[in-house]
Amino acid sequence: MHFSSLSRLMAGAAVALTLGTAASATECIAPANPGGGWDFTCRQIGKILYDIGAVDQPVQVTNMAGAGGGLAFAYVVNERNDDPDLIVAASSATTTRLAQNAYGGATADQVRFVGAIGADPGVIVVAADSEFQTLEDLVEAIKADPGSVAFAGGSAAGGFDHMKPLQVLKAGGFDDIRAIKYIGVDGGADAITQTVGGFTQAMTGDMSEVVGFVKSGEVRVLAVLTEERVPGFEDIPTAVEQGYDVVAVNWRGLYVPKDITDEQFSAWGEKLQMVADSAEWQEAMAANGLAPFTKVGDDFQSWIDGVIAQTVDLSKEIGVIQ
Amino acid sequence: MDTLANLALGFGVALSPFTLMLAVLGCVLGTIIGALPGLGPSNGVAILIPLAFTLGLDATSALVLMTSVYYGAMYGGRISSILLNIPGDEPALMTTLDGYPMAKQGRAGDALVLSGVASFAGGLLATIGLIIMAPLLARVAYLFGPAEYFALYLLAFCTLGGMASNNQAKSALAACIGLGIAMIGLDNTTGMPRFTYGNLHLMDGVDFLVAIVGLFAVAEVFFFIESHGKDSAIGVKLDKITIPIRDIGRSTVTMLRASLIGFVAGVLPGAGASLGSFLAYMGEKTVARDKDTFGTGNPKGIAAPEAGNNAAAGGALVPMLTLGVPGSGTTAVLLALLMTLNITPGPLLFTERPEVVWGLIASLLIANVVLLILNVPLVKIFVKVLMVPPWVLLPGVTMISFVGIYSLSGSYFDLLLMVGFGVLGYFLRKMDVPTVPIILGILLGNAMEDSLRRAMVISSGDWTFLFSSPIAIGLWIAAFAGFIAPIFLRPFLKKPQRITD
Amino acid sequence: MASDRILGLVVIIVALAYVASAFQIQASFLSDPVGSRTFPILLGCVVILCGVSMILRPDPEPDWPAASRFIQLGIATLVMIGYAYSLKPLGFLLPTAAAAGILSYQIGQRAGPAILTGIGLSGGLFILFKYVLGLGLFAVPKGLFG
Repeated sequence: MHFSSLSRLMAGAAVALTLGTAASATECIAPANPGGGWDFTCRQIGKILYDIGAVDQPVQVTNMAGAGGGLAFAYVVNERNDDPDLIVAASSATTTRLAQNAYGGATADQVRFVGAIGADPGVIVVAADSEFQTLEDLVEAIKADPGSVAFAGGSAAGGFDHMKPLQVLKAGGFDDIRAIKYIGVDGGADAITQTVGGFTQAMTGDMSEVVGFVKSGEVRVLAVLTEERVPGFEDIPTAVEQGYDVVAVNWRGLYVPKDITDEQFSAWGEKLQMVADSAEWQEAMAANGLAPFTKVGDDFQSWIDGVIAQTVDLSKEIGVIQ
Repeated sequence: MDTLANLALGFGVALSPFTLMLAVLGCVLGTIIGALPGLGPSNGVAILIPLAFTLGLDATSALVLMTSVYYGAMYGGRISSILLNIPGDEPALMTTLDGYPMAKQGRAGDALVLSGVASFAGGLLATIGLIIMAPLLARVAYLFGPAEYFALYLLAFCTLGGMASNNQAKSALAACIGLGIAMIGLDNTTGMPRFTYGNLHLMDGVDFLVAIVGLFAVAEVFFFIESHGKDSAIGVKLDKITIPIRDIGRSTVTMLRASLIGFVAGVLPGAGASLGSFLAYMGEKTVARDKDTFGTGNPKGIAAPEAGNNAAAGGALVPMLTLGVPGSGTTAVLLALLMTLNITPGPLLFTERPEVVWGLIASLLIANVVLLILNVPLVKIFVKVLMVPPWVLLPGVTMISFVGIYSLSGSYFDLLLMVGFGVLGYFLRKMDVPTVPIILGILLGNAMEDSLRRAMVISSGDWTFLFSSPIAIGLWIAAFAGFIAPIFLRPFLKKPQRITD
Repeated sequence: MASDRILGLVVIIVALAYVASAFQIQASFLSDPVGSRTFPILLGCVVILCGVSMILRPDPEPDWPAASRFIQLGIATLVMIGYAYSLKPLGFLLPTAAAAGILSYQIGQRAGPAILTGIGLSGGLFILFKYVLGLGLFAVPKGLFG
């Protein structure tokens, strides 16, 4: 008897504690060190979630660097699989690595992708004094002599930045994509520095990384890899309109653990939509060169599946995966 | 005049009672964080960013708070280096070499005051450099391509030849251990893992903080268990704490030189703050007339790395603000903070958001002065650490190390690795293998290999590309003439005089 | 003398294993003149040279502690490994108190102060990390309350 009353007391305490923590702080895991895109996503979305009252306590951002996001992915799958108060920053890098099996066998269906609320359009950039005026100039130069052009990008070989020029060149009818020179440096700004300095002939990256340099006139964007021209940068042509059918955007969004209830999942979808619609997010997107790109829910999941399939094909071709 | 007007604008933004209070708060928190092993400037700033949001600070106030934490941590790192031989973070690594011997001689107070003054000099000179030359210096980054960076890293490794060691083979071994560890993880040029053996924890490589804390803090605990606290600075009778005017005077030139080296290293985005203190120390050791006493408690051996690392911290802000390229872990965090505040650093920041830039510069100056004022009187409190009995202090250090490393990735794997480094550090130090080159190898190994391979990709395998610019050639000459040649010439140039040590 | 020679030998063996391992690194099809094996292999060779030099010209023997002290060091290592594994499942307070207490006893050789040190450190550091620095630590096992 004694024992059962004690256990009842414990259960009561547990319930009280769970109720107490129902309103507990949301945690956003940025699967990288502070300073990168994922960190930005967590901090910005976390800040706005709190500012617009979607959550009632400041969102705690946890940086969990390791394996290019793989550690955080494994952690969420194995240890937090039903935590409704957990969101994790994700981007194209997440799906690229999942497609390339770089997360130690983990697959995209082990979590649920909530949605994307903005995208960083892919760009191909040259220095202002470069001889290449259009994307065609660049592609033709590489076709003539693949060794004459080296690309710099912010991701390692096989990463998202590397894929962009490869896709463009394939669209331009150049098939020996392994001959294309690419150096992966530490981030987009570094890649620009190398290109403006004349060490590489072109830079592949995201719009947000080049905005300042475009405004200061140090670089020229040959093409932006979106379907339509980007608002605010109407004078930059898309690759599509130059005859290269390539769309590559680095979306910014979230995934959540798989085993939360459908209600909890759609609640996150609604909250993310609220952030997307907020004036504060519009301002943040404009300041950071993000283009509107809102896909939430099932629509987003099917889009992700398509992107992953495409990445798998390209990765096999360059030999990053067998 | 323009600069003065801008500076006035900056101080107008940053000098209010509230922001001053934030500066003091940031300096104190930063000093504590810097002194704790495993918590350095970069994760210190990262940990405290939420504080800025919780307080609901505007952009300038948040910047004041965070730069104070940044500079505070740069100051604080030296405290545990000097008192316990445990660097709190990588910029404070070199300070252990002469700081700890001084503490063992009962001159901990002098060492702390001197290092505080040197930190101030380095920080101040770097901020002045930032004010005068930032837009100009932004161009420097454009001059450094893969070939130049490779030569620079090579120079850094060549200076190891001048490192205090009785056995060059052991120095080389240590550097190779570090470089070998750096190879672990994803290979940047191919996108494939190396030496990870399928372990997800190793995909990003070994964090140098894990290695530092293991090799120094944990190994130190082993030494204490072995000796029960004898032969350490703990309990050493301290002289009365005064301001060591003579030492400060004698190292004025040292501080100037070290600040210059540190600042230049900081400005180069690929080199960063950690190289600053290292090159400043090794450079000073090369030119100093009393180079033989480096490593045994030479005040110049404290002044140089401390001025160097604080100057590098200031220098690293140049590429961060003007190009958006973070030169070090901490500037990467500050960059993140700026971006969260919707400020995108880049070539136009100085013209588009002058109030942010000059507010930041003003807050750097404020933080620096606050730290100097705080630090000199606080030395009296810091040295009290040595009065704490070792059976409290060392377990405390161990536990702090564990939590600090645990906060990096939240996994027990890093903790096990740290213990492993501790055991390794114990045996290597017993056998007179220096541990500083290991850290240098881990810090720079990837960057060095990457820059070489990038250079070869760009030039399609043409080795002459490595010597294709005046800067690269200059660095190669410096490496050979300054450090490699003397090793081989030493027997001819100098009569062997000492048989001790 | 002997210590350096043993270390030299160990170093050579490890370096050989490292080089062998380097040959297993998957080659890339991308344009990469140096390749991902060159650097590690080169390093391995330098290390072997260092090892040979240590065998041929060893330094004087370091003063190793007595065997009993080595056992103490082994215990300390085990305590730290156990601490690493228990931090997550058992929360912060209990493992910290235990580990700090044992280490304190090993250094100070007195049980009373060691127990106090363990308790004091675990409480004090918890407050420092949790409330001053805001790290996400758990005081007690999470599983205890379902």
